[in-house]
Order: sequence, then C-alpha cells, then structure tokens
Amino acid sequence: MTRLSVNDVGLVYRVRERLTLRAPAGNQKTGGTVTRRGRETLVTALDGVSFALAPGDRLAVTGPNGSGKTTLLKVLAGIYAPTRGTVTADGAVDALFDINLGFRPEATGRRNIVIRGLINGWSQVEINRRAESIIAFSELGDFIDMPVRTYSQGMAARLAFAIATSLDPEILIMDEWIGAGDAGFQSKASKRMTEFAGRAGIIVLASHNHALLRETCNRWLHLEQGHVTRFSDSIDDLP
Amino acid sequence: MSTGAAIRLALSDILDGLRRYRLWVTLATEDVLDQHRRTTLGPLWLVVNYFLFAGTFIFVFSPSDDRALHAIYIAVGLLVWTYINEIITPAVTLFEREGGLIRGTTLPVTVYILRLTLQSLIRSGYSLIGCVVILWVAGVSVTPAWGWSAAGLFFIVLVSPAIVCVFAFLGAVFPDSQFIVSNLMRIAMFITPVFWMFSGNDPIQAALYHFNPFTYLIAIVREPIVSGSVPLSMMGWCAGGGIAIWALALVLIGRNKRRLALMIP
Repeated sequence: MTRLSVNDVGLVYRVRERLTLRAPAGNQKTGGTVTRRGRETLVTALDGVSFALAPGDRLAVTGPNGSGKTTLLKVLAGIYAPTRGTVTADGAVDALFDINLGFRPEATGRRNIVIRGLINGWSQVEINRRAESIIAFSELGDFIDMPVRTYSQGMAARLAFAIATSLDPEILIMDEWIGAGDAGFQSKASKRMTEFAGRAGIIVLASHNHALLRETCNRWLHLEQGHVTRFSDSIDDLP
Repeated sequence: MSTGAAIRLALSDILDGLRRYRLWVTLATEDVLDQHRRTTLGPLWLVVNYFLFAGTFIFVFSPSDDRALHAIYIAVGLLVWTYINEIITPAVTLFEREGGLIRGTTLPVTVYILRLTLQSLIRSGYSLIGCVVILWVAGVSVTPAWGWSAAGLFFIVLVSPAIVCVFAFLGAVFPDSQFIVSNLMRIAMFITPVFWMFSGNDPIQAALYHFNPFTYLIAIVREPIVSGSVPLSMMGWCAGGGIAIWALALVLIGRNKRRLALMIP
C-alpha cells in the first residue's frame, strides 16, 4: 500500500567557502535559516519536519519564498539527502520540477520522448507504449519527426507537458501545478492534469495558488524558515 | 561516513549507472551528433581535424630522413593524447553542465561520468580512423606486439571514468580549476612526448619524460607499435596509478553522491 512517512527530517549544510579566486558570494542553494559559527556558515534548510501520508492523501505545501518548500519536495524525491531523520516511501516516487528537463532542441520530438523516457527509467517497451499517446495528445502531427528547435513555443510546451503527464505515479511530488499551451489547449491540459493527479496514490503539491490547493488537496502543511508551523488534516483551514 | 560505507555506496551507484546504459549511450551519441548536426561532413570533421593536426606535426617536426617512423610515432601519440585531453578538460565542468539533471532527478552519478567517457570515446574513434590511415600510408606492418597496444588502449578506457570523476569533483569544489586545467593541458601537450622523442641527454627533458603520467599512458600504447617492445615497467606504473585513481574516485562518489545537488554551482 502506498505510504509516505517523514520522521523528524532536517537538512543542514555548510556553505562552502568555495576555493575560488572570485569574490565570495551566494553559495546558498536553498531557503532556511543561516547561522555563522566562526568562519563557517551553516544553512538550516529544514528542521524537525514530520508527517505521514496514506493512500488518497493530497498534501498542500505552502510558505513564503525561501521557507523550504522546494527543499522539502527535493528531500521527498530523494534528490537531497536529509542530514537528520528519515523519509520512508512505500511506492515509486515521481517528481515534476521542470517539465523541460533533458529536452534537446536539436533532436526530433520523437527522439525527445525516448530520451525523457530513459531519464524516467522506462524500458523500451514502456517508451513505445506511451509514445503514440504522447504524440496524439501533443497534437504535433508530422512535426514529431522534426527537430524541437523548429517548434513554436506552444508546440514545445505541449510536447513537454504530454511527456511529463504520461507517468503513472504512485507518489507524485510537484512544485507548482503545471499547464501548457494556448487557450484551446489549456482546457484539454487541465483535464489531463486532473486525471494524471487522480491516478497518483499520494500527491505532495507546493504552490502559492491557494485556490488551486483547496481544489486539489485535502491536507495542508505550512513552512516558515524550514520549520513546520502548521499541519492540518483539513484543507478548509488553509486561508 | 566511513571509507568502507562510502565505497559500498559508490559501487551501488556504479552498478545502477551500468544498468542504465541505454540512457548514457543515447545521451553521449546525441552529444556528438549535436556538435556536428548542421555541418556537411558531420562527425567526419573529427577525422579532418586529426589529419590536419597530425599532418602539421609530421611535416614540421619530423626529420626528412626518417619521416615514416616519426609519422607512426606522432600518429599514435596524438591519438592517445587527444583522448586523454578529451576526457580531462571537459570533466572539470561536467557537474555544472549536468546541473539540471542533478538538481531534478535521482540519476546515479555514474550516468554523467559514463556519458562524458563514451562521448570522448566516440570522438576518439574518428581520430582512430585517421590514425589507421596514417599507419597504413607509413607502411607499418602489424606484429603480435600490437596486442599489447590494444591492451594499453583498453586499460586507458578502463581508467577513464575514474579520471573523469576525480576532475569532475575537482571542478565542483574549485570552479577556477576549469581554466587552470585547460591551460595546464595545453602546456602538457608540449611537455609530454606526443610528437618529440626522448633522447636522454637533456636533464630537463628527462624530468619532463619520467615525472609525467601522460608519458606512461602514451608509451603503453605506442611502444609496442613503434619499436615492437613491451614497456612492462611503464605498464606496472600505469596499473598502480589506475588502482589509486579508481580508489580515489570510489571514495569521492561515495562521500559526495548524496550531497552533489548541493555542491554544484
């Protein structure tokens, strides 16, 4: 059964005074609290974060910029390793941070589907199975065999969206809700996105759009400077 | 993290990376094709580049009375040098270039390392075509000693991912190293016996020859072809160096794999 359990997770890292001849500046990669101890600078990006999600849970993550939302999502996705506590995921975790990830403008649309499939860890059979529905949904027609650099911005966005939403996620981590394309495509994209999210056992979604979070999620977590300041079992508590 | 735990983590990363061979093979192939996609000759430009470079050295630096031997010497030396340069110089900026994937996925570090290694190997494959043509024109005959050259090439390929890894982590913690390393590699080409022969008379030349790891890497491939001899002691030094750099690479991967996304610029 799909579960996601986060137990007393903390992420503290030392900002390296990089061995550079350039003047020292901005090596902080995340939000959080900065403390200086002698010549050492430490960033506490997350501190004491705990929660547990069960199948059907859709967790809204809110907080001001630099509060640790993206850092938390990256810890859940396994991109950042916590320096304290544990994250236990029963189920495959899929994360959507950048739908254009790995896109190669010189390669054809079809080739980009293969590359993104390989990045996602799909087998050749899975890539072949999903390719036709991705092509059909993106409405690219014969352009699918043209280099992506020849696409309009909208065409490239439709392809990226179609690939990103062709996952079958068990635990889905998203930094902002995604959409794509012109007005005509947007309603189609919105429907697909709802179906896509509906297939996931668990969703963790960070956003500043509270209306969207109320519509999509059923639980709410609020972060301030890397600390959980509010965790609610009801999305109705979200202001 | 203990060294043992770091090595175990590194080995699991390598196994995971090897399992994802289709990804790094695809990316490396696309990288090479992208570099030449809109040109008429495509990757054959790499053969042309090699011919121009090797030809210049052969005609400018070779004595007219023994040009064939020098052509063989330079052709093989340049092939090995080109490959070494192709893996070291871009390795320093590897993690910065791969920043999008490192910050957006949980792909093994090995995928990035093998992507660059294979990309350099493909590019050097085109140089190999040029090298074979020069050897054929120079009238060299194939002897059983060539098997040792093949073993030397295989050894260099085997140690390449470790070299890439060490220079990639160097670049991640010391960004200026990309300029330092690229300048040093330019200088190294001239102080390494790529196109000059070691006479043994000049003490400075002797130091450049003996205390230069590139000398040994080139010699284990070139000596069996040029002189028919097997440089066993040099092979021993290379094997020792190879084990040392792989040990360092394993520790670097194991210790830094889980914090790489926070290390890169």
